[in-house]
Amino acid sequence: MSSTLTTNKVEGFVSHIAENNLAVWNELKSIRQSGLKAIKSLKFPTTRDEYWKYSRTTKITKNHYHFSQLDSIKGDLSKVKIEGLDTYEIVMVNGFFNAELSSLPKNDIIEIKSFEECTTEELTSYFSQNLDTITNFFSALNTAYFSEGIMIVAKGVCDKPVHVIHYSEGNNVISQPRNLFITEKNAELSIIKSSINQNTENFFYNSVNEFFIGENSHMNYYVIQNYEEGMNVISTNVATQEKNSNFSAYNYTLKGDWIRNNTNIFVKGENCESNLYGAYQPKGKQHIDNHTIMDHIMPNCESNEHYKGTVDDKATGVFNGKVFVRKDAQKINAFQSNNNILLSDDATMNSKPELEIYADDVKCSHGSTSGQLDEEAVFYLQSRGLSKESATALLIGAFLGEVVEKIKLPELKDKVLEMYGME
Amino acid sequence: MISIKNLHASIDGKEILKGINLEVKAGEVHAIMGPNGSGKSTLSSVLAGNEDYEITEGSVDFMGEDLLEYSTEERARMGVFLAFQYPIEIPGVSNMNFLRTAINETRESRGEEPIAAKDFLAMVKEKSALVELDNSLLKRYVNEGFSGGEKKRNEIFQMAMLEPKLAILDETDSGLDIDALKIVSHGVNTLKNQENATIVITHYQRLLDYIVPDFVHVLYKGKIVKSGTKELALELEEKGYDWIKEEVNA
Ligand SMILES: Nc1ncnc2c1ncn2[C@@H]1O[C@H](COP(=O)(O)OP(=O)(O)O)[C@@H](O)[C@H]1O
Ligand SMILES: [Mg+2]
Repeated sequence: MSSTLTTNKVEGFVSHIAENNLAVWNELKSIRQSGLKAIKSLKFPTTRDEYWKYSRTTKITKNHYHFSQLDSIKGDLSKVKIEGLDTYEIVMVNGFFNAELSSLPKNDIIEIKSFEECTTEELTSYFSQNLDTITNFFSALNTAYFSEGIMIVAKGVCDKPVHVIHYSEGNNVISQPRNLFITEKNAELSIIKSSINQNTENFFYNSVNEFFIGENSHMNYYVIQNYEEGMNVISTNVATQEKNSNFSAYNYTLKGDWIRNNTNIFVKGENCESNLYGAYQPKGKQHIDNHTIMDHIMPNCESNEHYKGTVDDKATGVFNGKVFVRKDAQKINAFQSNNNILLSDDATMNSKPELEIYADDVKCSHGSTSGQLDEEAVFYLQSRGLSKESATALLIGAFLGEVVEKIKLPELKDKVLEMYGME
Repeated sequence: MISIKNLHASIDGKEILKGINLEVKAGEVHAIMGPNGSGKSTLSSVLAGNEDYEITEGSVDFMGEDLLEYSTEERARMGVFLAFQYPIEIPGVSNMNFLRTAINETRESRGEEPIAAKDFLAMVKEKSALVELDNSLLKRYVNEGFSGGEKKRNEIFQMAMLEPKLAILDETDSGLDIDALKIVSHGVNTLKNQENATIVITHYQRLLDYIVPDFVHVLYKGKIVKSGTKELALELEEKGYDWIKEEVNA
């Protein structure tokens, strides 16, 4: 009885979305079908599911959504520009690629094209690989009904970073962008993802990005989340690394009503390096959830993960980091830590670092701390004439700054430091 | 400049200061001595506005104002400076950055413009030279990885930058070798003038050879039990504190 009810709920939810005609062309018909099939076998996640224990999705699933293609936008994209940094730009408006607002490369090193322009082979070798479609309802939802997709292929060392700007606007709109990022052998690419939203209410942004880091290649992926009100965000990133490659994912959340980030890295080759850094500072009633998976499948690799957050007012922070070291993955160095400062008595932080090791010759550490701001340090700074607010801001900056300092692009680093109110 | 009357303060219900009376005038140097645990650091913390302590009785007048009514940062901006006995390390906060903020917020509270970058740097150069503090240390995080002596010199450097009316030096000499002691004392003496005052808290007479006090007080069990001139310090050096303890406990 209740199961039928749940299924009906899912069907109702999906039927509203599916009312719109999304592009379906031959190559992708079966892919969308697979997503659809997965959805039908899944229920909405609840807090009884371990993966969603601290993030209630009813906020999202109780509403009905539609896709919305806009002819013009109200927002100002220059807000996310990074001063002094020349980038290629891909602008997606409510999940749809906007060529007019974009500025694409004109060289052989980097190729940017829509899925419609991709060959069957390109799509089948990259699309939905390692995706948590089977277990994650929202990934399956994206696979079935992604609004539009872009494939970015770096064939060599790219001269400029690619800045992907996601713009959101509207009420009860769903945006499901889907992007593939590929660094071929020996290539190097940095990607920056920024978001802008304006006039949003009950907006559901559900993106999926897949990353393929080829042999001996380098990829850096920087995400800056700075949402105005009215956005519910689920952002799923899945990366696969080949041998001798280097992948770093950085996630900086400035603000957002409700955000869930899933960042999963599968290391499928030897001698790889993987880095995961993140900072978050929920305030008010915000809810910021970061889930990561660091999966070591092959030997002789290293991974570093460090997430830091300050939680204020009645806000909630969630961190769940799983590190797997598989049976054959000997000689792995895997480090993970999550540090939090609770700035109010009503703030909540749920932190769960997890380590599953099946190999015996490994060096791993993980840990989590949640504490208060150092009152002694606040007093010291105040005794020099700083207001309590400035002293607190300076100490928060110092705390979160550690992971912001990891940004390798100086202009971007300055911008993010400034956004967090650090100098 | 400052007039402390019958000051009582406690922490966690335990009374530490039990009626302090002290009057310091502009241009004067007062030394407060006393055995460990007598309440010297507590007095400095209370004057700096540490809210961990509860003031149960008494008053503090600072240049005509009721000091106890003001917050820590307001007191600092009014000209109260405390050189901490144990300066803490603050990783991630750069010395220069925080000092510039401190100076600018102080200026703002007085209705003044922020300090020009050029003037700030010139001031840093001059004042750090005064205490022979390596400029590379200033770019680092507050006290992080500093030696004991460097931390103490950094306190005096900050004092020089902030130009307080009343400086309270809480055992600035402890842990310093004789050279560092001379440097720190030279800094303090250079900053001294007829408009400001200094309270030097120390355990040893040694410092008072370099920073010569006008008055010496002995703090014991939360009270000033004896006051005199610099000869009192010499007497304490010679005889220790036992005779004072005996006098008080008798
Ligand atoms: N946070 C505290 N909680 C309880 N007692 C304290 C605290 N700080 C200091 N005291 C007590 O107050 C007394 C005075 O300490 P303090 O002012 O540091 O002395 P001094 O600086 O003269 O050595 C000591 O007995 C000490 O144990
Ligand atoms: Mg002391």
